[in-house]
Amino acid sequence: MARMSYAQALNEAHRIAMHDDPRVFVLGEDIGVYGGIYRVTKGLQAEFGEQRVLDTPISEIAITGAAVGAALVGSRPILEIGFVDFVGTCWDQVFNQAAKFSYMTDGRASVPLVIRMACGAGLGYGVHHSQSLEAWFTHVPGLKVVMPATPADAKGLLLAAIDDPNPVIFLEHKFLYEVKDEVPDGRYTVPLGKAWMAREGADVTIVSWSGAVPWALKAAEQAAAEGIECEVLDLRSLVPLDEDAIVASVEKTGRLIVCHEACTTGGFGAEVIARVVTRAFDFLDAEPLRVAAPDIPVPNSLPLEAVYLGTRERLLEAVRGIVS
Amino acid sequence: MSLSPQDLKQLFRRLLLIRRFEEEAFRLAVAGKFSNYHGGMGQEAIPVGVCYGLKPTDNTMITHRGLGVLLTRGVPVGEIFAGLYAKESCPTRGRHPIFHMAAPELGILAGTTMVGSVIPLATGAALAARIQGKPDVTISFFGDGSVNRGDFHEGVNLGAVRKLPIVYFCENNFYAKSMPLEASTAGGSIIARAQGYGLPSELVDGNDVVAVYEATQRAVARARAGEGPTFIECLTYRWTPHSTAGDREFSRTAEELASWKAKCPILRLRKQLIEAGHASAEELDAVDIDIQREVAEGVEFAEAAPYAAPEVALENVYV
Repeated sequence: MARMSYAQALNEAHRIAMHDDPRVFVLGEDIGVYGGIYRVTKGLQAEFGEQRVLDTPISEIAITGAAVGAALVGSRPILEIGFVDFVGTCWDQVFNQAAKFSYMTDGRASVPLVIRMACGAGLGYGVHHSQSLEAWFTHVPGLKVVMPATPADAKGLLLAAIDDPNPVIFLEHKFLYEVKDEVPDGRYTVPLGKAWMAREGADVTIVSWSGAVPWALKAAEQAAAEGIECEVLDLRSLVPLDEDAIVASVEKTGRLIVCHEACTTGGFGAEVIARVVTRAFDFLDAEPLRVAAPDIPVPNSLPLEAVYLGTRERLLEAVRGIVS
Repeated sequence: MSLSPQDLKQLFRRLLLIRRFEEEAFRLAVAGKFSNYHGGMGQEAIPVGVCYGLKPTDNTMITHRGLGVLLTRGVPVGEIFAGLYAKESCPTRGRHPIFHMAAPELGILAGTTMVGSVIPLATGAALAARIQGKPDVTISFFGDGSVNRGDFHEGVNLGAVRKLPIVYFCENNFYAKSMPLEASTAGGSIIARAQGYGLPSELVDGNDVVAVYEATQRAVARARAGEGPTFIECLTYRWTPHSTAGDREFSRTAEELASWKAKCPILRLRKQLIEAGHASAEELDAVDIDIQREVAEGVEFAEAAPYAAPEVALENVYV
């Protein structure tokens, strides 16, 4: 066990995977010599060489397509796209190509590819560097969608994603990169599709993921001081979804709040609530709530961005409201 | 490298197989037997000339008009017709149009519906061959309609800058659907774009199967020797419409079509074979009869084949 940041944990996962499996290689913009915007790939090129750690042109279509093509012939690429906001430039290669090969070929071809992208706001980066677009990916059958919230999960989920034979969208919250915590040594995997019970409680279930998990834990702590016990469930992956864990928690608490950073409309919170209403309606003591961003682009200045991120403050109010 | 009379007869057989297949597929689509057909009649010399000298481990990525590649690389005729009928007895099992099917065991990595999207994919296959230390070469087929897509520019640039073992192969039939080349493509030359990326390039008569074969062999040898990509532009012409679905004809003239039909790649090789004394007209006619039987049997197979059971729609979304 060692104390390290989320970015360092991801770096260690790369190093283990590249050491263990010669099929794994890494490509992206400024990931080699420079080590990536968030230093996640720092030192990998020096250790594994330019053949396996490729600095590419700023050509998201080419590098995403090339990663898919390489996966089709037996490599296991890890592609870094610096910001999820950039995926629009290469979206066809993600949702029409990577996601469809297994289906099109009756399982005779597969795309064991991990696309790592930074998501999330909080650093004042503005409209093109701050979005949370996870719901887009969940709407494409054939993609898996993983969003770690802690350093230990970042490492274990990335190793699981690399092992997975399917294309995995791996979204890293940029506000979490410098967060430090205990991380187990060596190789371990955190299975995709298994939620983490981040806090147990009897009164309210808060379902969250990625950067919203720390908000949920903070709100739970504040609520506990007022005598309200929240259960916080970190989904870890949205596809596959640990629906059983969500339903089991709601059956226990009778109250559901889904808290996510992304915009409200079409957000994955709607899907979580729909599943719970379908499977556990009779257990609900109050109408389920989603606490999420207003439907606006993410503004640049910190005071304006705080409007977008108002979910943090509204969550505690929502907890108070749902038990009253 | 040089082609024997026996090789030339093999090429003839393959050309004719694609032609008879094209004719039948077009006829059946027009008759409403299946929803649509994107034919490549008149362009047969390209898949045959390119694929004839490839090793089974070399990879090809195809276009909408890639059925000639499937036939030349060994996908059975009946399976391809079954694919057009969207029946179970084809590699996609009716899940995806046959134009874009994959047969990894035959070096067919698939195609995609989005024009030009294969170019980055093929570039990645070549990148992986390099990283894996394999001698495999990738052929990326695309049409003139692809060269105004970002996928073309980004993909070719990446292949060029990393000197990957790939052949960028443009089938220029002068029309992207109904859009004439001169109205769509600034600068007036496709091959000039490749030269702009510093790639060795060749402009080839795409209706001369031997010329296509030889140009491909030169490019493949360069790629296998680690000398990087080559860009080949083949000039050819599609006799049939873009597809059978509603857009039968457009701006091209009867005279233009007739002038290209006079350059038929099959009649041309047939004439060469007979004039050189490699084959008699009777021998080649017998080949034709044999092929027509093979095509007819393929159609029968497809007509008799079942549709996949409904549960097949739910399978293989994930590996």
